[in-house]
Amino acid sequence: MSAVAAKPQAGGAMNPTAMAVGVVLLIIILGACYYVSPNLGLTALIGVIVGGVLIGFGTHFVPVGGAPAAMGQAPGIATGVAMLAAGAGLAGLFGGAWAAPLGTTVATITGGIGGGLMMAITCMMVNFVYVYGMGIPAASGKVLHDPITGDSQAEFKSQGTEGHGLPFVSFVGGVIGGILAGAGGTLIYLALLDLYKATFPTLMSATHAQVLPVAVSVAGMFAVAMFLVNAVLTAYNITGTIEGPHDPKFKRWPRAIVASAVASALCGFVAILIVAI
Amino acid sequence: MSVKIEVIAGGVPHDKIMIAGLVSTLVCIYLTYLNAFTNTQMFSFFGGLAVVAALIWGSHTIKVLCSYGIGTGVPSAGMIAFGSGTIAMLLATKYGMLAPIVALVLAAVIGLILGYVSNNILNMKIPAMIQALTEMAVVGALTVMGFAAMITGGFTFTGLTTSTATFLGFPITSYANSFLGGGLIAVAFLLGAIAIQHPFNACLGPGWKQDRMLMLTAECGFLSMIVAAVMSFAFISAGAALISLIVAIIGWLYTYGQFFAMSKRDAAAWLDSKPIPDTEGH
Repeated sequence: MSAVAAKPQAGGAMNPTAMAVGVVLLIIILGACYYVSPNLGLTALIGVIVGGVLIGFGTHFVPVGGAPAAMGQAPGIATGVAMLAAGAGLAGLFGGAWAAPLGTTVATITGGIGGGLMMAITCMMVNFVYVYGMGIPAASGKVLHDPITGDSQAEFKSQGTEGHGLPFVSFVGGVIGGILAGAGGTLIYLALLDLYKATFPTLMSATHAQVLPVAVSVAGMFAVAMFLVNAVLTAYNITGTIEGPHDPKFKRWPRAIVASAVASALCGFVAILIVAI
Repeated sequence: MSVKIEVIAGGVPHDKIMIAGLVSTLVCIYLTYLNAFTNTQMFSFFGGLAVVAALIWGSHTIKVLCSYGIGTGVPSAGMIAFGSGTIAMLLATKYGMLAPIVALVLAAVIGLILGYVSNNILNMKIPAMIQALTEMAVVGALTVMGFAAMITGGFTFTGLTTSTATFLGFPITSYANSFLGGGLIAVAFLLGAIAIQHPFNACLGPGWKQDRMLMLTAECGFLSMIVAAVMSFAFISAGAALISLIVAIIGWLYTYGQFFAMSKRDAAAWLDSKPIPDTEGH
């Protein structure tokens, strides 16, 4: 086993007991939130959970190559999940935050477009560097034919590598992932911003306009923090690298859904406690 | 399957670093409370020292976790540490004097649950995972709190969301010019997150030496402290900020010199490293 191929193999199997514990934990947190803040808080928490799950699911689409990709020995973008998801998600979050006054739907879609655009540009430039800079063609190591274009992959794959470059399906996966993650990050931000805008004036005994900078900053900080937590948990789920939606590791997504839901619920609950107690 | 790679054993045991880091961080954060007793802001620099202590502990925790080859890169560990820690820290600031203790407990609970989620639900099956994520959440929370205490001179929610400026002789309360309202917490977040993940990322490998890595952590911590000290000019009196800046620069020069000496020490010797191990050690 070469050093490059020897990625740690965390089990691909589900752990039903742990999943059940996760779901129970989620219900307990939802119940606790209902207890401390039945209306505003619970609405915000549900928004946060949906956003977190979108981030966790979306990150599975993003072609993450890590260090092997930087050496042209594995397909994908040559960096880690945390960096990529942060880039795409935060780009989406900024787009969504800018559109926040236009309503939840517009802002969420704007966030998704921001994230997708960021990933499209990233994938494009990565392929430029691969093809014109490193002189390697795009070839997937996990499938014989590209699931979208049907192009044959095996002939272009160098021996001893897991594929290289960024095949078309990975590009599409990256854009889908960026859209989902950007929309998810924006949802978290909007859910918390609505909550803080409604509760901070009484909490800090100041006017609505005065507390707005604090509400925006705290909601934004929580959104960034939850974004990173969800992205890193997803990175743990795929143990670092994934080629895109055609990768066998993609089938692990149910685990990440539960994990993201629990983690977002927990972090969201703490964020709601700031104004609830 | 996860294989632990201990390239070089020895050095100070992790438990000792953890306890020393925790105690000195808490003590340093509480020393900034002298500001309230003495009605000055001269003790703000203790917040920066708390940051350095917490980072040293945190980077060793990252070493413990990442020697299992988690496959996601070392920076991800720093990001989850601060992601979970900042959330705990923001809630804890509401508890006034008890804030550091509440941050500690709350971050530990969040880290524990995140550790369970990643180890069991996501099936990572890494023995050190739960403890490491718990410790890192605490480190993240205390580091951001240290930065907050250093930049604003206090760590209460009111202090972090308001600042008083004098306009035409009348004191006015400003919410936008504050640690939270001005978004400085985002800078503190990344200053800490980069400083915590860089040392192990830079020092890992067969030539890893504990003292060199921890010295690099202290260097990164003081470097972050310089930036935080510059930012603190906006919130605390110029004299207090100057003390922070001088402490940070002296600390940085000393630790950088030490790190340079240790790098030369380690580079002069060559290590009979084994063939590339079967699992990646990052």
